Amino acid sequence: MSAAVETNPQVEVVSRIEVDRSAEGAVTIYWASALFWLTIATIAGLISSAKLHSPDFLGNIEWLTFGRIRPVHWDTAIYGFGGTAASGTLLWLQARLCQTRIPFPALLIAGGVIFNVGILLGSIGVLMGQSTGVETLELPLYAMPLLVIPYVFIVIANFKMYFTRKTSHTYVSQWYLMAVTVWFPILVLSAEACTNLGAVDGVAQAIANWWYGHNVVGLFATPTGIAAAYYLIPKVIGKPIHSYHLSLLGFWSNAIFYNWAGTHHLTGGPLPAWTITIGVVGSLMMFIPVITIGINHHMTMLGSFHHLKTSPTLRFAVMGSMIYTLSSFQGSLESLRSHQEITHFTHYTIGHVHFGMYGFFAPLMFAMMYYAMPRLTGNEWSSARLIRIHFWCTLIGMLVYAISMCYAGIRQGMMMNDPTAPFLDIVRFTVPFLWIRTLGGLILFAGTIAFLINFWRIVQPHRLRFVTPTLMTTERDYNMLLNKEKELEQNDK
Amino acid sequence: MFYVFVFIWAFAIVAGITMVWLLAWAIRQGEFKNLRAGARSIFDENEPEGKVTDYFPGEAPLMRQLEVRR
Repeated sequence: MSAAVETNPQVEVVSRIEVDRSAEGAVTIYWASALFWLTIATIAGLISSAKLHSPDFLGNIEWLTFGRIRPVHWDTAIYGFGGTAASGTLLWLQARLCQTRIPFPALLIAGGVIFNVGILLGSIGVLMGQSTGVETLELPLYAMPLLVIPYVFIVIANFKMYFTRKTSHTYVSQWYLMAVTVWFPILVLSAEACTNLGAVDGVAQAIANWWYGHNVVGLFATPTGIAAAYYLIPKVIGKPIHSYHLSLLGFWSNAIFYNWAGTHHLTGGPLPAWTITIGVVGSLMMFIPVITIGINHHMTMLGSFHHLKTSPTLRFAVMGSMIYTLSSFQGSLESLRSHQEITHFTHYTIGHVHFGMYGFFAPLMFAMMYYAMPRLTGNEWSSARLIRIHFWCTLIGMLVYAISMCYAGIRQGMMMNDPTAPFLDIVRFTVPFLWIRTLGGLILFAGTIAFLINFWRIVQPHRLRFVTPTLMTTERDYNMLLNKEKELEQNDK
Repeated sequence: MFYVFVFIWAFAIVAGITMVWLLAWAIRQGEFKNLRAGARSIFDENEPEGKVTDYFPGEAPLMRQLEVRR
């Protein structure tokens, strides 16, 4: 915080409202898109899941065959939901932390529209059988420019905000956000060059593919989630993070080690052993940032857990940060060759991916939306009950999904290592767990619908303005915002 | 293939140097000094340290007061 701002609280309050107002259009379109694509991804995931225990389900429709609908599920989840949720988070959080208005709002809104068109075209292409066949980069090449161009707008806006910031200190969340804007374009361009554009062949292509597949989660989704947690947890409970030293150590160790971890996906593949060993070492070194981040998130909460009863944002943020610790420990151990002897090529990996994406990343994005949307729109969430339904469905659905898949995966792996076990018996063993997975997915879907209803209501213009202002907890805040609102409305006229 | 390797190595070296330069820049800027104040930089007069800033709709302390007045 700059000295001028510190000595003038009135300027600070007005500035913050204006920051939020400037972000309303661009951030809302990204988050609304995120929820739309989350719904599509969940439906595609449910269809994929059902096909594994009931192969005849929608079996006569060629564009819904498993090989097409499953990539649509993953791509709409990681780019459609993850990309837009992270972009909205990046824009709003950076604007807040820089205490500056979001620049080029019209350009960013246009970027949001273009991005959606890109995902839509790419998904239709995959459903029509035009998948590239490269995991996580399945979208046809003609859709990629439509995803890259909006991201360029976001990178420009991000740098513009940072270099015109009114604050002197770079908060730890900003380190992560700035890093994401640099890392992600390098990742995408390098991976596309080495896979779909054919710059390299053979196993080198597989290395590039899994270097990207792992890092799109670790160097795009994860930093955005951690940035959100580092802002939301202390902000909601009104307590600075436990150790700022550790938070910076966590960022830099994450930056150094995560990039190396991807090749552990290829354990047992026809690669030089040292390439896989590097991946394993990189994965184990991730214990350093994970432990530092875990200590910070959990120790900050110590003594403040009672706020979980009253704050929706905190519920999702704490759920996300706790599962970050658990899923990261799980992921590091999973990279070991001795572990993979059992779990590689089993449902365990699927359980782990969903545990991380829907247990850590998604709840933190939900937390961000719950915290920011009332401040962006001036409206209030219409139903506390729907928020509670969303939270419990997310938590229970995720646990049902992850526990069933991880348990089934371990048993499946042990049976596959037994040469006397008939393969069909192994398949039959997993079927009940695949049903449980579909049940977990349905519970998650119910939560998504609850959130969609609430989100639809909050973006209605002025529908519930100032009816139940959760975000204003003192009368002084309330009156100040009310006066500012009147002033802005007069200016609009 | 040779040019691809040249490109990848050049890219990696530039990226690596940039990260080291960024770290040096941050140290020169004093980003790692006075970390206690840095941790508190997200708070301000309106959302100060010690104040809870999020509640379920209609359940914030102020709302309870307003409900009573109505």
